[in-house]
Amino acid sequence: MKPEDQRLTSEQVGTIVKMLGLTTDRELDCSECLQHVSEFAECQLAGKPLGEVITKVEQHLALCPECREEYLALIKILKASQ
Amino acid sequence: MTQSEINWPAALRATDSGEQAAAVRELRDVLHNGLRIALQGRSDVSAAHLEDFAQESLLRVLERLDQFQGRSRFTTWAQAIALNVAFTELRRKRWQDVSLDALMAGGERMTDPAMIADEVLGADEDRKRLVATLRQAIENDLTPKQRAAILGELREMPFDQIVELLGTSRSAAYKMLHDARRALKQRLHEAGITGADIQNAFNL
Repeated sequence: MKPEDQRLTSEQVGTIVKMLGLTTDRELDCSECLQHVSEFAECQLAGKPLGEVITKVEQHLALCPECREEYLALIKILKASQ
Repeated sequence: MTQSEINWPAALRATDSGEQAAAVRELRDVLHNGLRIALQGRSDVSAAHLEDFAQESLLRVLERLDQFQGRSRFTTWAQAIALNVAFTELRRKRWQDVSLDALMAGGERMTDPAMIADEVLGADEDRKRLVATLRQAIENDLTPKQRAAILGELREMPFDQIVELLGTSRSAAYKMLHDARRALKQRLHEAGITGADIQNAFNL
């Protein structure tokens, strides 16, 4: 990869600062998110209020593109089975 | 009996081997069908991949049966695990040739002023100050591994790949990244840069 290709883009720098804005002292990691994401997905689709732990799932999904990708796929499955 | 009427944990633990085998087959079909819907249209997923993912997912769900706490439907919980299995494997294949040396060297280059292109800075003075503070914090407040991990995230490298390259556990790697973000945030805070400044500078 050429050095100029390794430069951080405006979007990438924006991603860093956005992540900093979302950072809190206590967060779920990916494993904890996986434990709760099914409940979060069902609450979201049913329009139910979110509990404290489930709110942290929402925060983790905003920070973690991989868990977000899996969550969106889960929503796709749930919608297909409705 | 419909899927929603099945007491899945009980059926999967049934002492009657016929009943248990039927539940396992049914769950495997549920997982396979969900994966087919989720991964539809992906050129890197064949029918054989779907079979492998469904089988691996089934084993993972059975291993974790004791962790199901009934806060969602069982099938939703199991599908979440299946998606984690499938996406983890697909990401691993895409990034399997990246080395630790390349990641560490890339992380070190984040401290090079040339790493941030001029167009990122723009004409706005507040934005220039924010980026300059951020760059200084990356250089002074982060360890080489933290820089490498953040760069890996920005390059959309799978988290499992970052964990593997850094030779640590998932929880240790997540803590490393979390500590890095907290350190950078603290530095911006000390420089008087607020959340509103960040939002304005990057139109977030």
